[in-house]
Amino acid sequence: MIPDYYEFRNSTKILSGTGAIENITFELANMKVSRPLVLTNKQLRSLGVADIVIGALEKGLIPAAAVYDDVPVDSSVSTVNEVAKAYAKADCDAIVAVGGGSVLDTAKGASIVITHGATDLMQYMGSEVLVGDRMVPFVAVPTTAGTGSEVTSAAVIKDTERHVKMGFVSYNLLPDVAVLDPRMTVGLPPRITAATGMDALCHAVEAFSCRQANPLSDCYARAAIDLIREYLPAALAKPKVQENRLAMANAALLAGVSFSNSMVGIVHAIGHACGGVAGVPHGEAMAILLPHGMTYNLGVVGDRYGELLLHLAGPQAYCTEHPADRGGAAIQAVRALNTMLHDKTGMPLTLSEAGVTEEHLPIIARTAIDDGAMAFNPRDAGYDDVLTLLRQAF
Amino acid sequence: MKRRVIAIVFFFLGRGFAACARLDSRVKREIGRWAEGTVVTLRVAPSGPQTSWSVRDGVFRHLGAREVEPTLLVTFKNPEGALPVFLGMKGVLQAFAEHRSTLAGDISLGMSVVRCLHIVEGYLFPAIMTRRILPSPAHREKSVVAAYALTLAVSSAPVFVEGGAA
Ligand SMILES: [Fe+2]
Repeated sequence: MIPDYYEFRNSTKILSGTGAIENITFELANMKVSRPLVLTNKQLRSLGVADIVIGALEKGLIPAAAVYDDVPVDSSVSTVNEVAKAYAKADCDAIVAVGGGSVLDTAKGASIVITHGATDLMQYMGSEVLVGDRMVPFVAVPTTAGTGSEVTSAAVIKDTERHVKMGFVSYNLLPDVAVLDPRMTVGLPPRITAATGMDALCHAVEAFSCRQANPLSDCYARAAIDLIREYLPAALAKPKVQENRLAMANAALLAGVSFSNSMVGIVHAIGHACGGVAGVPHGEAMAILLPHGMTYNLGVVGDRYGELLLHLAGPQAYCTEHPADRGGAAIQAVRALNTMLHDKTGMPLTLSEAGVTEEHLPIIARTAIDDGAMAFNPRDAGYDDVLTLLRQAF
Repeated sequence: MKRRVIAIVFFFLGRGFAACARLDSRVKREIGRWAEGTVVTLRVAPSGPQTSWSVRDGVFRHLGAREVEPTLLVTFKNPEGALPVFLGMKGVLQAFAEHRSTLAGDISLGMSVVRCLHIVEGYLFPAIMTRRILPSPAHREKSVVAAYALTLAVSSAPVFVEGGAA
């Protein structure tokens, strides 16, 4: 399959493996950085995860000029503005962001404020709006293996006062360096390992089957799913084994590159709404909704799902399945994975188990059809379609 | 030439949208949710054409090609990328996915605009065109003749937004 037209970019340099964190200072020196701001959150500080990075910067003689560790669970405009202030106050010249999606998104937001001297981030909302070079060298150190934010051109920042979820998509937001070090994820609890892993899987599956799938994003998606098939169970069985963690970090990054260039669809649109309306954790929403979203799209992209069976279930299962049935079998493979994760970690299998109520469903459906991700789903979905899907996942 | 063709389509699309805001309950409901002060502009870079709609003082208006300050701006990068969309050969969302256009503003509003455009195109374009670009076969609440009559008649007459601007 070759699309009529597509665009692709992944300019982020990737450091992956043992000692990756110790190489950050070399990269900073390369970018002529001497006063990095370390951005993280309190929890990562108390777990000692952020301090591995802070310590490595010190040892590498480019110590943090400031540490901002007050990033909340959801990135917000006020935090972004505070970070930009801290950056200016300490005369910083780069951001090293250590955290999950919210920390990395906050860093992206702050880079917009700092670069453009923005007083109102809302002016920069949208897709391909930001012009000119980013003035902030940016190193991303993910501490979960899921969001892929370390290689994506997107950020979501909440304006809590105006009740607006601002979306930004721009190649300007791609980090300069992404650092995957197993020490960052080795301590993740099982349920978070499972949920974030399913987020990564969902990125790969949706990227592979959405409107802008292309030969390059396909490669990344296939490679991501191969790693998840092998290493998500392994990371749960042997969480302290660094190889398992590094493989999952790579899977999340690969899936991130894929969906940053091909976007995600209905599963994310509804999942975002489940998070916003009912507080369902993103990864858990992804796991619950993925088989339902695939079923909804099956008639349009069944062949594409069929191709994914090879990666989801392995060569043996792929070869023994009749080509016409491979798409459906791919959905079964995702369901089987969900069941395994449910048994091992207690991750919910239905929306009601995840805390969604009957009354939430119409509000979630209403919110989901306005979500930008819906624009890229291969099959259009209106309010009634989404409500039906929600009832099936309930 | 391409720009001229798009300008003609914009003329019909602009007025057709205003007509649908009067006669189609789904479009009425959509624009009823647009915030007061909303200005939506479709523009073709680098030098036009463009067309805009606004909600001001609870009234929906087609603003035509006049200079405005949009709150939601969809810019096609060039006429070559815009033409297939406005000739009904490619869906709006497919074009967006292909980076043929940029979007400045709130994507949620963009999704509402796209739903409206799909309905408007269902009235204005023949089925042979819309089959390829609309999510499902065009469902029309009113007749095409009524829509066209209004499209040609209303020009930029104001339409009161149901329930006021929310
Ligand atoms: Fe996700």
